[in-house]
Amino acid sequence: MARWGMVIDVKRCIACWSCTISCKEEHFLPPNVFWNRVLIGEAGKFPTSRKLIYPVLCNHCADAACVDACPTGATYKREDGIVAVDYDKCVGCRACLISCPYQQRTYYDEEKKNAEYFPGQGKTEYEKIGEKLYPFTCGTVMKCNFCTERIEEGLEKGLTPGTDDEASPACVIACPVGARIFGDLDDSESEISRLIMEKNGKQLHPEFGTEPAVYYID
Amino acid sequence: MKKRNELEKIMFHPTGTDLKPYEWMISATPQQEWIDKKGIFLLLAFFFTEIGAGLYFISLFYQYRTGLILGWLISLILGGGVHVLYLGNPFRAWRMLMKPQTSELSRGMWIIGIFAVAGFVQIVTSNFGPVFNVIMGILSLLIISHGFMTMNVIRALAAWSSTMVIPLSIISGVWIGCQMFQFMLAVSGNQMAQSFEIWSQILLIVYFVCVLLYIWGTYHASETAEKSISLMLKGDLAKYFYGGVVLIGFMLPLLITLKMWDGDINAGLIFLRLALIFAGDIAMRYIIMKSAMYQPLI
Repeated sequence: MARWGMVIDVKRCIACWSCTISCKEEHFLPPNVFWNRVLIGEAGKFPTSRKLIYPVLCNHCADAACVDACPTGATYKREDGIVAVDYDKCVGCRACLISCPYQQRTYYDEEKKNAEYFPGQGKTEYEKIGEKLYPFTCGTVMKCNFCTERIEEGLEKGLTPGTDDEASPACVIACPVGARIFGDLDDSESEISRLIMEKNGKQLHPEFGTEPAVYYID
Repeated sequence: MKKRNELEKIMFHPTGTDLKPYEWMISATPQQEWIDKKGIFLLLAFFFTEIGAGLYFISLFYQYRTGLILGWLISLILGGGVHVLYLGNPFRAWRMLMKPQTSELSRGMWIIGIFAVAGFVQIVTSNFGPVFNVIMGILSLLIISHGFMTMNVIRALAAWSSTMVIPLSIISGVWIGCQMFQFMLAVSGNQMAQSFEIWSQILLIVYFVCVLLYIWGTYHASETAEKSISLMLKGDLAKYFYGGVVLIGFMLPLLITLKMWDGDINAGLIFLRLALIFAGDIAMRYIIMKSAMYQPLI
């Protein structure tokens, strides 16, 4: 069984937010909900200061703090390494949200459900369709799912996630500079395994011992 | 500039946080879910379960049935009830029993469930055998520390992972339980209220030492934990710390304790001290929950 992961080349990223927008489109995320973010910060001091651009998303950790913290089993780890949420089991205690060191989870409540992209002007047709196609449950926690639907559909068609666009996460195929590489971490021949080895891929906050499946190279 | 502000208001919905998406977690970020908005229910839930279990624990030593009943009710009805109100889907609360092997919240639910049944049996049958008492004592202590234990296991928040979090919660629970117990004795005219004052004197000092040790230990734990303590002592939360924890939770109760030092106790002063300690403990919990911060991501 594959263990899906991602490599993000921060040197290539130009902070165009294509990943953020494509993710929002793919999952019909309401205003102020982001499963993909591009963080922009600074490091060092003048004259040696530099700009940091880090796209971040759920790390689908091997030893996920959110999975351990969830009291109901709503957040669980799939065989393919994806950390998923079963909205029918989620009780809305937000223990997962609190315990995530990367803060990649969002509590979906009435306020978010009713939020409009154009405040005061009602929901657009696009938002209404989204609610039907991709319904979220109020009082539960949501997060990036590595576009599970696309991966599963792609695999059924005999496609390879990471190689075939149709089977890859939306953020990966939307990236105009190819900064995101998706693939099987357990396959030593895969492109992401090679990049992690060759370019010394780093995880965010390895000190928490969560073993993220998202690596950064530069 | 005005146009830019208007555009930002549309892009980043005004009901959300003031942070822009690209500013998220680039500096130490305070936790909000377990304290802001509906999160305040969690603070109250932890507080009520703690004080109820504290009263039960102290009443156990004296086989004081009224205290046991009141402690049991506060812990379960107020603590449990408010806890459920916090949940996004309260009707699924039973599901929280499903994962005691990894989840501290789930373990807490089991302990509260066992405490509810065993406590009911003890109150109804008045069984105060040594084995039963030890079991109930342990359950009470576990419930007292349940709130902070749930917070303590979260490694992402350095201020909550502090070693002193659990001792502080146990001492504060026992201290408040002790005060409620003494107040009940004093109101009922029980002479034991006077001899019990020595415990109040000791626990007041121990409680405050625990608060100081928490601050000292957390400040030296990590850079992010240091920021949490700075926020508490010098930042936005300083007024709650000096006014709530130091003045209301310690200085004023200390003055009352000194006033009753010669053994001349009265129910009015004990009630006043109890009220102050309630407020001080809530302030202490609020500050600890509010000041917790996540390490920046980049």
